[in-house]
Amino acid sequence: MINPITNIIKNWIEPSSHVIDFGCGDGSLLKELRDQNNILGYGIEIDPEGIAGCLKNNIPVIEKNIDEGIDEFSECNFDVAIMASSIQCLKEPNVSLKKILTLSNRCIVTIPNLGYWRCRIALMLGRMPVTPSLPSSWYGTKNIHLCTIKDFEDLCRDEDFIIEDSIHLNKNRKPSKFSLIFPNLLSSEGVYLLARR
Amino acid sequence: MKSERKLHSFDSGITLECGDILKSFDLMVDTYGNLNSDKSNAILVCHAFSGSHHAAGNSSEDRKPGWWDELIGPKKAIDTDKFFVVSPNNLGSCFGSTGPTTVSPDTNEVYGKDFPDVTVLDWVNSQKMLQDKLGITSWAAVMGGSIGGMQALQWAITFPDNVKRSAVIAAAAKASSQNIALNEVSRESIRKDIDFCGGDYLKKNTFPKSGVKAARMLAHITYLSEENMNKRFGRKFQKNESKVGEFVDYEVENYLQYKGTKFSEFFDANTYIIMSKAMDGFDPAEKYNDELKEALKNIKAKLLIVGFKSDWLFPPDRGKEIQLAAMQSGINSSYLELDGQQGHDSFLFSNERYQNSLEAFLDN
Repeated sequence: MINPITNIIKNWIEPSSHVIDFGCGDGSLLKELRDQNNILGYGIEIDPEGIAGCLKNNIPVIEKNIDEGIDEFSECNFDVAIMASSIQCLKEPNVSLKKILTLSNRCIVTIPNLGYWRCRIALMLGRMPVTPSLPSSWYGTKNIHLCTIKDFEDLCRDEDFIIEDSIHLNKNRKPSKFSLIFPNLLSSEGVYLLARR
Repeated sequence: MKSERKLHSFDSGITLECGDILKSFDLMVDTYGNLNSDKSNAILVCHAFSGSHHAAGNSSEDRKPGWWDELIGPKKAIDTDKFFVVSPNNLGSCFGSTGPTTVSPDTNEVYGKDFPDVTVLDWVNSQKMLQDKLGITSWAAVMGGSIGGMQALQWAITFPDNVKRSAVIAAAAKASSQNIALNEVSRESIRKDIDFCGGDYLKKNTFPKSGVKAARMLAHITYLSEENMNKRFGRKFQKNESKVGEFVDYEVENYLQYKGTKFSEFFDANTYIIMSKAMDGFDPAEKYNDELKEALKNIKAKLLIVGFKSDWLFPPDRGKEIQLAAMQSGINSSYLELDGQQGHDSFLFSNERYQNSLEAFLDN
C-alpha cells in the first residue's frame, strides 16, 4: 500500500524531475517516485540502517550529516527537494530550509504538528505527546525543533517562502477536510510545497 | 571455491598512453567461481599498489591468503557462489604479468629501467583486452581499493557500455600534492640506493633492497591510522630476543623494519616506481579542463564510492568529490563513509556494514 503522504508528494512532482530527499530513510519514498514518476532521485541519510535500505532499494544515497552544511549540492540542479519528517531533527532548521530553497526550485516539507489537539491534551495531562506522527518517547526522539502549523507558516512568511500548496493530515496521516477547519488544532501533520520568491 | 590461475598472452600488443608500444604482453590472471552461461556474472577486481592477481584463497606460491580474501569467497561480500571474479596482475607489475622484470622480445634482455611508463588508463585498456578474450561483454562490476578504485572509476569512464557497476573504494579522482610528495620520498630512497644502478640492477645481478625497504616503510605508515598504530604498538618497547637489530627500541620500529625487509624480498624496485608514477598521474578530469563532472558525464555504470573515516592517504572527502561530480552529471551514484579503523588499509578488511553494502550494491 502506498503511504498517503507519498501520494500527495507524487502529485507535486513532475515526471522525470531531479529530486533530492534530505533524510531519505531507506529510500522507499524515492523508490515510489522513481517507479511511478520516473524521477531521478538521490537520498541524503546519516543512519546506517537507512543507507543500507537505500542500497537494497537501488536508490542512490549519500551518507551525510545535513547539519554539516549542504552547500556542495548547489551545482546539482535539483527540481525538487524533499524534507519528509526530518526538518525538526536539524540543528538549524530555518537555515537549512533557506539553503535548500537556493539549491532547488521547490521544497516539499512535512512537519509533525505539536499544536494537534492530542498533543495539547497530552501536555495538559502533564505528558509528552506520543502520536502516530510523533511516535518516539521523549528520550528516544531525534526531534529537537518541534513546532506547530502556525509556527511553521510564520517561519515561511518571515523567510519569504511561498507556500504553493499545503495539505493537512488527520491522526491516520491521511488528508482530511475536517483538519482544514482549524489545521493547527485538528491536523497531526502538515505537508507543504514551498517555493522561493 | 573454484579457482584458476592462467597466463593470458596478447600477441596483438598494446599502445600505451606514453606512445610506446608493447608488441606483445602477458597478464597473469586468477579467477574465482564459475562464469555463467550468458557471461553476465563476471566481476573484475583491480589490485592496489603492491597487490597481485592473487586476490582470494590460498595459493602454493604465497604464504598468505589473497589480498581481498576477507571480501571474496563463498557467502562473502563478493560471493563466488554467485559471481565469477576475474583478478589480473597489472601491466608493469612483477608477479607474472609483463613488467620490468620480463625479458623484452626486442632485446632479449629484461626490460628493467626501459619498461615504459604505464598509466591507470593503460591498465584498463589491457583489462578490456582480457574482457574481450574471455568473451565477456559487460562486467557485472569492476571493483577495487586505492589505485584499484582508480581503475574501477577509469573503467566506468572509458568503457561505459562494458561495465554495469563500479565500486571505487578508498580512492580519489586524482593524487593530491601530498600523495605525490610521499611517493617521491619513496622513489628517492630507491633511486639513491647504490644497488639501484639507475634501474639496471637486474642486468648487474644486484637489487636495491635497502631502498625498496625504506620506501615501503614510509608507505606502510601512510596505510595505517594514527589511532590504529597507537592501539597496536603504543610506546611499547620491543623485547630483546625478537629485535631485528640492536638499534631497535620500540615495537613499531621493529614492525616496520620487519615489514620493509619482507617487502624488499619480493617486490621489484622498477615496478615500485612504475606503480607510484601511475598513481601520481591519475587525473581523468585533466582532459576536461579539470571538470570532473565532465569526465564522468558519459558513465552508464552505477557507482558506489566508499571512504573510510580513518584513511588519511585518500580521506573520505576525496571520495565524496567523485560522488558529487557524478551527481552533478546525473549519474546513479552513492557515497558511503565507513568506520574502518585500519586507516587506508581498511578497504582490505571486511566488517558487517562493508559486507552488507557491497552485497546490496551487487544484488540490484
